[in-house]
Amino acid sequence: MTGLANVQFWAFVGVVAGIFTIFSLGLQVQFGFAGLLNFGHVAFMAIGAYTMAILVVKTGLSLWIASLIAIAVSMGFGLLLGLPTLRLRADYLAITTIAFGEIVRYLALNEQELTGGPQGTINLEGAGAAARYNDEWLDFQRTVQGWLEVLLGDNATRDVTMLVIVWTVALVAIVLLQILVRSPWGRVLRSIREDEDAASALGKNVFSYRLQALALGAALGAVAGLFFAFQFSFFSPNDFEPLTTFFAYVIVILGGTAKNWGVPLGALIFGFIFAGTRFLDVWPLNTFDSAERAYLRLIIVGLILIGLMAFRPQGILGKREELVVE
Amino acid sequence: MSERDVILEVEDVHKSFGGLAAVAGATFDVERSSITALIGPNGAGKTTLFHVVSGFYKPDHGAVRLDGERIDGSPTHRIVRRGLVRTFQLTKALTRMSVLDNMLVAAPAQPGERMWRVFATPGAVKRREEEVHERALELLSLVGLERLADDYAAVLSGGQRKLLEFARALMTEPSLVMLDEPMAGVNPSLGVELLEHMRELQRERGTTFLLIEHDIDVVMTVSERVVVMSSGAVIADGPPDDVRRNEAVIDAYLGSPHAHEEVHEIAGESSS
Amino acid sequence: MTELLQLVVNGLVTGSIIAIAAIGLSLVYGILKIVNFAHGDYLTLGAFVAFTVNVTWGFGMAGAALAAIVAVALVGFGLERGLWRPLRRRGSGLIGLFIVSIGLALVLRNVILLVWGARPRRYDVDVFQVYELGPIRLSQSQLVVIVVASTAITLVGLMLARTRLGKGMRALADNRQLAAATGIDADRITTYTWLLAAGLAGLGGVLQGLLQNAFTPSMGFTLLLPIFAAVILGGVGSAYGALVGGLVLGLVMEVSTWSALAGGIPSVYKPVVAFAVLIGVLVLRPQGVLGRARTV
Ligand SMILES: Nc1ncnc2c1ncn2[C@@H]1O[C@H](COP(=O)(O)OP(=O)(O)O)[C@@H](O)[C@H]1O
Ligand SMILES: [Mg+2]
Repeated sequence: MTGLANVQFWAFVGVVAGIFTIFSLGLQVQFGFAGLLNFGHVAFMAIGAYTMAILVVKTGLSLWIASLIAIAVSMGFGLLLGLPTLRLRADYLAITTIAFGEIVRYLALNEQELTGGPQGTINLEGAGAAARYNDEWLDFQRTVQGWLEVLLGDNATRDVTMLVIVWTVALVAIVLLQILVRSPWGRVLRSIREDEDAASALGKNVFSYRLQALALGAALGAVAGLFFAFQFSFFSPNDFEPLTTFFAYVIVILGGTAKNWGVPLGALIFGFIFAGTRFLDVWPLNTFDSAERAYLRLIIVGLILIGLMAFRPQGILGKREELVVE
Repeated sequence: MSERDVILEVEDVHKSFGGLAAVAGATFDVERSSITALIGPNGAGKTTLFHVVSGFYKPDHGAVRLDGERIDGSPTHRIVRRGLVRTFQLTKALTRMSVLDNMLVAAPAQPGERMWRVFATPGAVKRREEEVHERALELLSLVGLERLADDYAAVLSGGQRKLLEFARALMTEPSLVMLDEPMAGVNPSLGVELLEHMRELQRERGTTFLLIEHDIDVVMTVSERVVVMSSGAVIADGPPDDVRRNEAVIDAYLGSPHAHEEVHEIAGESSS
Repeated sequence: MTELLQLVVNGLVTGSIIAIAAIGLSLVYGILKIVNFAHGDYLTLGAFVAFTVNVTWGFGMAGAALAAIVAVALVGFGLERGLWRPLRRRGSGLIGLFIVSIGLALVLRNVILLVWGARPRRYDVDVFQVYELGPIRLSQSQLVVIVVASTAITLVGLMLARTRLGKGMRALADNRQLAAATGIDADRITTYTWLLAAGLAGLGGVLQGLLQNAFTPSMGFTLLLPIFAAVILGGVGSAYGALVGGLVLGLVMEVSTWSALAGGIPSVYKPVVAFAVLIGVLVLRPQGVLGRARTV
């Protein structure tokens, strides 16, 4: 594999990092700004991706309408999750939200009629119809590619086009979030994160703000899920294990909790770690086969998480004075 | 009786924790635009009563009325929006935010606290922000914290945090302010200014104050009325001079750990 | 009726493993304020150490289980000294330690994958031996699990109830200050808590490996959420609560598949039943089963 010098390869790494940026921004809102330990974030990604795929393939809805509905459904699940759980202590909330994420995954795994079961969306409705959302997406992508060719010429390949689309969405999301967290709305959220009793004693409806944060995060999770579906065409319940949520935590904490620009930074570093451990051909990495490298990669991710919490819990961009987790 | 304009009524409120009755049948009221003191030995249930009135706890029994309407069982944020704000004995400064942000977050009627208004009506948000900013700086200079406006609230001393909480409570534009030991740890000369400002607000805006205070000099000079609690119940209620001569009050303080100093103080023997 | 009886017995088998793991998790949670997300991987480690001793080296299952208990206890102790204690001294809070434990879980599971690979493994035992007790059928593994688990639970229960150490642990889990006032040596108790919790996890892992017949490195993680559910059901820090919580969950999970219950829930949803019980209980009592309501 000549991966490291290859534009296509880096475009791919960039796309994945972009999808993880959007996904982790959702967690940033919930955990970084609202202080909610949501460990079931991956469920929103799954709900977004599956809702869209099922609607397009089974009901023939247009991709765009299906995508909007998918985001709305995911937000609905955010509210559904929040209503009973947002009053829980942080540690109980963490455990319950993981349980929620796992329930969603188990349902996707076992409700074959609806989701295609363990084989994933390829099994949604026979091989022919399965990729319908993909066709529609590729049409759109070709249109964008046409525009990009004007600017980039031959470099505007499919992967580069996807890269541009994903990062455009990611950057727009970052800018909008940045406006939000600097607004009075964001100020209330920060006050709640720090001391919910103080916030309610100042007339703030703590529960409502937490719900809003959860729903907004769920929407971003769903958008990430949509791109995940477009990028990989087919997906299965295994793509939505709790591990994916943990990755988002690593990204958020690495970049800096409560720092929006920390998220793309964390996601890019994360992307490099993944790409590097997969393709670097230096000792000692070259003594491992590809499965072993996957394990090694996760060991490194785990060590980073431990090291960060021990030595730099505020992450790269965070301020010690505004530390969210001690 | 019918002449009295009552803003807050507390009627037979009970609140216990497990077997312990922290508040056991407290009844009193607070007249509009007055300064009323709530005193009583440690553990009398004053703070717990504040928690009940401000909606943090639901009373086991009894009623709380603000402007004649029941507020017991209402969530805290609604009670605040109806004009009742309280401070905490153990201060709750938001230490990871700036002193100024502590103030700004307390302002009511900021349209930018709704997500969609941030994008839909940025002009209105900005205008309100400017108004509020001005008021925040005014109040901060009143409590002598204006120079620290941009620092994290974490740098404030205990006394400064009390002052910040006082100023922050006023940011909510309240009609009734309940202060839980506002002078504790505060520099005495600033304390005097604080009292003067309370009087000023009382006169000019008709703001009502209910304060828990241990310094008997303060209580006697500033308040028109004193409510005394002991073991969860109200044992005396009246003008300061009547209360200080009340047998039950002296007995209650005699039973408390700091009996000696406090009895002397109550009896008006402290220097003034 | 026979079906129900059979399910109850299966539930007790499953529940006793959950209970064994939950007791340790709950003590660590209560005494050290560590929500140890890596606890499931301690179970996995036990199962694989026993695999090496039993299959690779050819020793009997009893020796393999003992080796697993000792190995995991030592790992637990080593991590206390090398990881948790330094973090505590740096002043890490509950949430910080929880996130660290997620990192640790990733490290442990993938080290296990690196060493033992992803293939399903089995112990060298007779899987076809079945015992019939009246209408109930028990495999040899199930029988072993019941006997070993109830012995272990009894011994741990006696230890907690009777010995100075056990009383100290319970006091510390209940209330640190109170315990400090009674002059309990917190350092010593911390050490023993980890030895006990990790050792029990090692044993639980071996038993689960036996019960499942074939197991992979994700075994422990699959069991982790039901274990947490048992801890929260029983009240964080309460060893007896965790025991009861584990047995109740095991029973609920198995009995939920009973065909008389509107056909029964498909058995693939057994873990979902455990999560639903957890969420349901917390919705009714947000402070946990034994917890006190939040105060200002
Ligand atoms: N959350 C609580 N749980 C149990 N007991 C409490 C709680 N809060 C207060 N108490 C008890 O209630 C009594 C009244 O306390 P408090 O209202 O703080 O008194 P005061 O403010 O008059 O000193 C005290 O005995 C105190 O220990
Ligand atoms: Mg008090």
